[in-house]
Amino acid sequence: MVALPRPAVAQGAVPDRVFTRDTLRGDTVLDADVVIVGSGAGGATLAAELAEAGLDVVMIEEGRYWTTRDFTAQASAMTRQLYRDGGASMAIGDPPVMFQEGRAVGGSTVINGGMSWRTPERILERWRREAGLEHIEAPDMEAHFARVERRIHVRHQDPETVGRDNELLKRGADAKGWKVIPNLRNQVHCAGSNNCAFGCPTGAKQSALVSYVPRALHFGARLLSDVKVERILLHGKRAIGVAGRVVGEGERPGPRVTVRAKLVVAACGAIQTPALLARSGVRSPSGRLGHNLSLHPNVKLVATFDEPVRGWEGVHQAYQVREFEGEGLLFAAVNIPPAVIAMTSHERGAALGALMDAYDRTVIAGMLCEDTATGRVRTINGRPQAFYQLAQFDADKLVRGVALLAELLFAAGARSIITPFAGVPTLRSGDDTRLLYAHPIPRSAMEVVTVHMMGTAAMGADRTRAVTDGHGLVHDAERLMVCDASLFPTPIGVNPMETIMALATRSAAHVLDNLERFS
Amino acid sequence: MSYQHPPAVRRVLESLVPVVCPPEAVALGLTAAIVDHVALTMSAVPPLFRRGLVLGLTTYDLAAMVWPAARGRRAHRLPPELAERWFERWERGLTPVERELTHAVGQLLKFGCYEQPAMLARLGYTPQAWIEQVTRRRLQVYGDDIRRAEAAIVAPDPLRPPVRRPRTEVG
Repeated sequence: MVALPRPAVAQGAVPDRVFTRDTLRGDTVLDADVVIVGSGAGGATLAAELAEAGLDVVMIEEGRYWTTRDFTAQASAMTRQLYRDGGASMAIGDPPVMFQEGRAVGGSTVINGGMSWRTPERILERWRREAGLEHIEAPDMEAHFARVERRIHVRHQDPETVGRDNELLKRGADAKGWKVIPNLRNQVHCAGSNNCAFGCPTGAKQSALVSYVPRALHFGARLLSDVKVERILLHGKRAIGVAGRVVGEGERPGPRVTVRAKLVVAACGAIQTPALLARSGVRSPSGRLGHNLSLHPNVKLVATFDEPVRGWEGVHQAYQVREFEGEGLLFAAVNIPPAVIAMTSHERGAALGALMDAYDRTVIAGMLCEDTATGRVRTINGRPQAFYQLAQFDADKLVRGVALLAELLFAAGARSIITPFAGVPTLRSGDDTRLLYAHPIPRSAMEVVTVHMMGTAAMGADRTRAVTDGHGLVHDAERLMVCDASLFPTPIGVNPMETIMALATRSAAHVLDNLERFS
Repeated sequence: MSYQHPPAVRRVLESLVPVVCPPEAVALGLTAAIVDHVALTMSAVPPLFRRGLVLGLTTYDLAAMVWPAARGRRAHRLPPELAERWFERWERGLTPVERELTHAVGQLLKFGCYEQPAMLARLGYTPQAWIEQVTRRRLQVYGDDIRRAEAAIVAPDPLRPPVRRPRTEVG
């Protein structure tokens, strides 16, 4: 084992056992029991569980180590710092789907909205039935969910932090008689700063950065940030470590980093994990590595009200409208900054100015759609490229969801609504929602985004149909595990963070119960 | 990450600010700042995407020369009315390349426009002041709870004893 120097950075900025490009100045070789690539919902959770049990764990994160004090409301700066590719990642298809991945210590938990929902029972039952997974149903998962919820403080929001935009969403749902529930979020007295997507500036959101990562470090894990893992080292079919390079200033490759370990874990998300496995030469007998990409297509409506809303004052997504959950549709108020609204708007010039002048009177409402189609992540020159074709069934569902959400917003008092469909005129009343059905809306006219990528190294009992077994261990490989949303056999219809964390907790228990296999 | 617009690309982008951004952005003299911001954003996007944008903008500029209404002028030299029409032609272009280019460039310019403090001030958008206010309130009202939660982050789990002695020395 090569000794690492103590971090030579300002006191308090980087904890002990976190090593960054400022300290990783020469080629480094380390030995560990477990090396985990990724420090987000899956990687950090697994690291904390295994480190607490006494295993020697090394986490490797490509992004930087930012702290709570670094997070501000400057959308542009935060996007460049915290998002892969500045948030401009795109799945190619009709329509192209813009997606976001966190690239920082804590992964996407640093930039998500903090929604913490257990996997729906119907989904777990489907996984058992269709993927042949054992001990995956709700009673089996109960202890894992409960453990995660304790760690990341899953609870309802303090009522004084609910902003006007969320009150209006609830008012609309109540007026329609639709089921609306308070959101469960991982937070310790969230202040309602509504800056979740750019890092929580108060530290209230219990992202992995402020929960599982410090816990893992406390119990002896080491974290190498600013290190891009290029490949998993294989000896035959056995994973024996990882090799990568320090990411230097300007993304320039720096010194080499090698970590040898008895268990190698890929936990870098449903886009990066299949690419890492593929460029390392891992072959799945199923031929399904990188396939089965689902992404919860998400669209947004901009509704203007007569009254001041000031959507940035109050918690992000205090409520979810669950009336259409059975159809795979969830609605929520999701205030986003002016630059992002302007960017995703189809307007330009004076019309854009008119739209934006009403920003402080707008409610931005989003819709999550449980998709039926699947896309694919291909690895081209070592880099992942996502391809995804929105199914016509899902496109129709998006149109229906937008119409329903527009009805809700008009019931709440909206004066006008801009839809995410180019060419559809601004809606002025509930009757106008019929315009959405007047002519077919081409998929290419839909502005679709997502932050929920899933399924590209799916679990399953059958090695000819799935990439990993029920605990994330890659079929036909040894000592190689996947621990992120890649594992999901199907989309789950709710925000995925807690499912990822619970599966990581379950995988950790499996490793600890079978330590002789990994010694 | 450092990317600077080539001069020709910069000229095209400057000519597109009045087409894409609201008139007040130009009136406030923000054209150069918006184009600078586009460079900043482009520094973070994948290199292939960046090269595609540069190539696309160059093509957009030169292709205007064969458009009869332009009378041999490049796009960045077109008067406002023709600049608007040329952009619109590409927005509604027959090929996805034209449509995607105008879409992407429009997104970059609009994003850069509404990151300008002068534009945000016009909207009354003051998130940082709000963040500071609620952060203070959170600590005042819930300070004890917060400290307890922070302590719990590193508290050992009594239900899962270590299978090995915890590590204390590193490196």
